[in-house]
Amino acid sequence: MKKVKIIAGISWAFLCLILIIILFPGLNSFSLSVSKLPFMKLNPRYTGGEIANQVISKSCTLDIRKPVFNGFLKERNSGFVQLDWHGTIPDIIKDSIDYDYDGKKDFYVLIDRKNSKTVLEPIDRKVKDVLISTPTSYGWAIRVGLIK
Amino acid sequence: MDSVLKIEGMRKSLGKSLLYTLPMFLITFMFMTGGKPNFADPVSALAMLTAFLLVNILYFLMHYTGKTDRYRAVLFIIFALSLSYTLIHNMVEVRKSMTFSQADILECRIPFCHLVIPMMILPAAFTKSIIFPGSIISGFANISSMVVLWLVATIVLGRGFCSWGCFYGGWDDGFSRIKKRPVIKKISELWKWMPFAVLIMVMLTAALSMMPTYCSWICPFKAVTEFEQVTSVESATKAGIFLSLFGGLVVVLPVMTRKRTQCSFLCPLGAINSLSNKITPFTVKIDKGSCNECFKCVEVCPLYALTPEDIKAGKVSLFCSKCGKCVDACSKKAIHYGIRGIPAGTMKNFSRNLFLFVSFLFMAIFSAGSIINTLQGLLKLIF
Repeated sequence: MKKVKIIAGISWAFLCLILIIILFPGLNSFSLSVSKLPFMKLNPRYTGGEIANQVISKSCTLDIRKPVFNGFLKERNSGFVQLDWHGTIPDIIKDSIDYDYDGKKDFYVLIDRKNSKTVLEPIDRKVKDVLISTPTSYGWAIRVGLIK
Repeated sequence: MDSVLKIEGMRKSLGKSLLYTLPMFLITFMFMTGGKPNFADPVSALAMLTAFLLVNILYFLMHYTGKTDRYRAVLFIIFALSLSYTLIHNMVEVRKSMTFSQADILECRIPFCHLVIPMMILPAAFTKSIIFPGSIISGFANISSMVVLWLVATIVLGRGFCSWGCFYGGWDDGFSRIKKRPVIKKISELWKWMPFAVLIMVMLTAALSMMPTYCSWICPFKAVTEFEQVTSVESATKAGIFLSLFGGLVVVLPVMTRKRTQCSFLCPLGAINSLSNKITPFTVKIDKGSCNECFKCVEVCPLYALTPEDIKAGKVSLFCSKCGKCVDACSKKAIHYGIRGIPAGTMKNFSRNLFLFVSFLFMAIFSAGSIINTLQGLLKLIF
């Protein structure tokens, strides 16, 4: 039994030695395999949610994402909707948004990019306030707080 | 006389030490150069050569002198400093500051580090998603590669990751070596269970808030890497917490206690790594037959992993990070690196050689990129 334990211990140690030696050359392929695991995707609270609708104007495009209410075990009562403008964006952005596609506008938004000022006018009672309004590498993004 | 002979038992002759260094020399050469050294850019070549020589000389000295911790600590501390330099340098170059903006969060451009892993577990299990604004596979410090590196290192080294792989540990390890004698000698043993409490707290709060709460509110190493732009009372409070914890747990307490207090009392990943000590093949063993119970090992252990009771029982606790400080301090060589299954007091040299090769190889390759990058930066300042 003692000998079996010693052989098992040494075998495990040598297996670990091999693991470390192949770890770095194989890192890219191991990482790629890990990235394909079902839970290896960013939560919509970080990505902003899937793009649900695109509004294309003359020079720029507005992406309206799906509202995000993600919680740990169940959906939360409060969440947000993210809007992304990209392309050649005017200095002042004025848009009226129907984020839930019920045919009625839910809020107006006015963004003064030069002065980094954002004004939100809620129309629907579910629309609360501006959580984030920021320039991005592709243009401008805002997150508008919502309740259910 | 007996103790002198036993100390010399871990030392090797010059030829034998060179022979033991040869595999490290070849493997690190392959990893650092890709098999084809590039001399086109003299600064890069010099930085690469310096890093290559540094790791191999340190590894050679481990064999030649029979001492582990003092040479491990040199590379470990350089790793921590160079990684912070690399991160800060990248951020200043790309963003012109050490802070990240809301756009960086929205575009998921935050570098991922292993300290986020405990907070990923529950949301990954229940929501099948990762709660971190980083990149899953592409770019610098992406989530997949950091998870793979940490997972393999933790399976192989157990809590040894905290002394051979963690690119933050070198900070408090370094500060804990500044004073020759500790000013604070006694801290309640109970504090070493604190990381488990922090682990449970951050796992639950992260799951409930769907936010990496440790990174957002607690992590002391934000002070030497990156933090949120101070634009509100909340972000100012966070910055205050980061700086206070860094000052207290990474600088002041390690200097005063000669212990790695951040690793011992706060780090939630250290708690997980402690549990992984149960599966790793490499351990630290106590040969009760040789031990004279001087408790020098208890005194020098930087992670409160040893108590007189542990020594009397002949067992090292699960908090051990295999740094080698106790092994170096033991005049009887009663405490030594071992392999699971091999009885204490036997095959000491074999176990040490195998452990050193595995652990040092991991640290050498993991740290090489940031050390070379830092050396390049320093050399460019000179030339």
